[in-house]
Amino acid sequence: MYENTKLIELKNISKSFGDTQVLKNVDIYIRRKEFVTLLGPSGCGKTTMLRIIGGFEFPDEGEVLFDGKDIQSLPPYRRRVNTVFQKYALFTHLNVYDNIAFGLKLKKPEELLPNEKKITRRKIKAEIDRRVKRMLKLVKMEAYEKRSVDALSGGQQQRIAIARALVNEPEVLLLDEPLGALDLKLRKEMQVELKSMQQQLGITFIYVTHDQEEALTMSDTIVVMNGGKIQQIGDGKSIYDEPKNAFVANFIGDSNILSGVMLKDFEVECAGHRFECVDEGFAENESVDVVVRPEDVMVVGSDVGMLVGEVESVFFKGVHYEMKVNTGDFTWKVHSTTMHPAGSRVGLSIVPSNIHIMRRMEAEG
Amino acid sequence: MKRLFKYLKGTYLGLLLLLLYSPIAVMIVLSFNQSKSRANFSWGGLKWYYELFYESPEIIEALKLTLTVAILATIISIVLGTLGAIGIHACKKGYATMLMNLSYLPMTMPDIVTGVSLMLMFVFVNTYVYFPRGFVTMLIAHITFDTPYVLFSVMPKLKQMNPNAYEAALDLGCRPMKAIVKVILPEISPGIVTGGLLAFTMSLDDFVISFFTSESNNLSMLVYAAAKRGVEPTIYALSTLIFIAILILLIIINKRSDLESIS
Repeated sequence: MYENTKLIELKNISKSFGDTQVLKNVDIYIRRKEFVTLLGPSGCGKTTMLRIIGGFEFPDEGEVLFDGKDIQSLPPYRRRVNTVFQKYALFTHLNVYDNIAFGLKLKKPEELLPNEKKITRRKIKAEIDRRVKRMLKLVKMEAYEKRSVDALSGGQQQRIAIARALVNEPEVLLLDEPLGALDLKLRKEMQVELKSMQQQLGITFIYVTHDQEEALTMSDTIVVMNGGKIQQIGDGKSIYDEPKNAFVANFIGDSNILSGVMLKDFEVECAGHRFECVDEGFAENESVDVVVRPEDVMVVGSDVGMLVGEVESVFFKGVHYEMKVNTGDFTWKVHSTTMHPAGSRVGLSIVPSNIHIMRRMEAEG
Repeated sequence: MKRLFKYLKGTYLGLLLLLLYSPIAVMIVLSFNQSKSRANFSWGGLKWYYELFYESPEIIEALKLTLTVAILATIISIVLGTLGAIGIHACKKGYATMLMNLSYLPMTMPDIVTGVSLMLMFVFVNTYVYFPRGFVTMLIAHITFDTPYVLFSVMPKLKQMNPNAYEAALDLGCRPMKAIVKVILPEISPGIVTGGLLAFTMSLDDFVISFFTSESNNLSMLVYAAAKRGVEPTIYALSTLIFIAILILLIIINKRSDLESIS
């Protein structure tokens, strides 16, 4: 899908603001044409990482490589990346057209028209006009070029901010929670559009968000961060199905996280029951965390279940019911399309491949 | 009852405005008087205005000084105030608050204190190097009290500005200086213009500080000096013109702040 070359590499990056360390020895590389999402709760260091790539912050330690070259000393205006800022940061004294043309007007004429022998002012103007119009079309805002940016809605301002960054043909587009201020429906539409823009233009997107669903929808690669450290890197499916630790399991989707003991390969004991599983390579009787997704817990008759419990609460969630089932040792979160009223006794069953074993999370810090 | 109340309200306001503005109205009327007498009025046309401009060289001198000082002080304080505001805006919060309070002090301080202290400083400097109290000292004094007005008009505009606007300019290819000129200055320009107009107005009608810091007369000082000798109707004419000039400036400033509060 993408060329297998490393475009951006962060090596052993650390960064502190005053006494708080926001990034701790972060190592990561980003490939060409990849859609990478930095995902984590607020304060996890994801925005700082983006700002280091953009050139707005300098790491205390470590290297930032772009195409194999160290770019730490390059100021933002010399980097081949552009940023879409959290609150758009459009220039209110310029109209839509001039906002988008801003970066182009700063380019050298020979950069703008590389194949032109005799460059005239008219040709430059025509070229800028051509590129701005193409961007307006890409973000579906053709009719708005003469509008003042203050007169636009949040979603429209967002589109202009994206166009203003993309018109410079960056190799990497950095997006800092760009959809945070939009309502849910608009956000979902923009997710799809952003993804298709990225594929159409074939450039690298680095996207910062705290919304796990957004990350799963758009990304080729998700980087889950917490406390200034990378918790897990992988595609959406592997992160969802094989979370490396309890934090990732908890942050990406709903989960039941239980403490258990690995009795031997392929057998784990938790919630007072011995489960067959597909994991191996743990020490005998090693304490582990066990993750089971709520949709993987099957509700069966109370006579055939591996576990038997009482339904404590039921919520209708649209596609499914979310139930809390207490089996004595543990209260399970269960998603099911059939409703079982609170107070009724049900059986629960889990197939081995849906039981995911993780090593205990090391202590924070 | 309701109508009576409304009537009373109207009368009260009318009386208030009458008390406020009748002295100025009397002065304007007298500036068109034929004779110097204040007791009887007969239409004299623009007689005193003519005299003011063609037969009172000292008044025209004062007017020139006043305008030169006002224009120069406004320009210099716009530069200082704007740069100061950008600097303070970039400071850490506690430090910024301290700087803001320090800048606020000259605005609240009585003119007489500012005037006397500046005079002392100029006299002190003059004992070491030749530094007479005149045009330059008056200009310095005016810059001193004008700058905070610009600073405090620009500050809110900087706060309103998107915190990433400067970084966005860098991101799109501006060097730092260019980012300030092409993005920050245009974004805060309404504040700069308002501040400049305020500074100009302050400079134009200053008396107390100018009196202490300069021996050359500006308009206010001239009027004061003339009043001691007995006021000539040319002074009415002059005061009328000053009143109109300040009025126009204030109207412009108010219209601007109205426009800004709408947008």
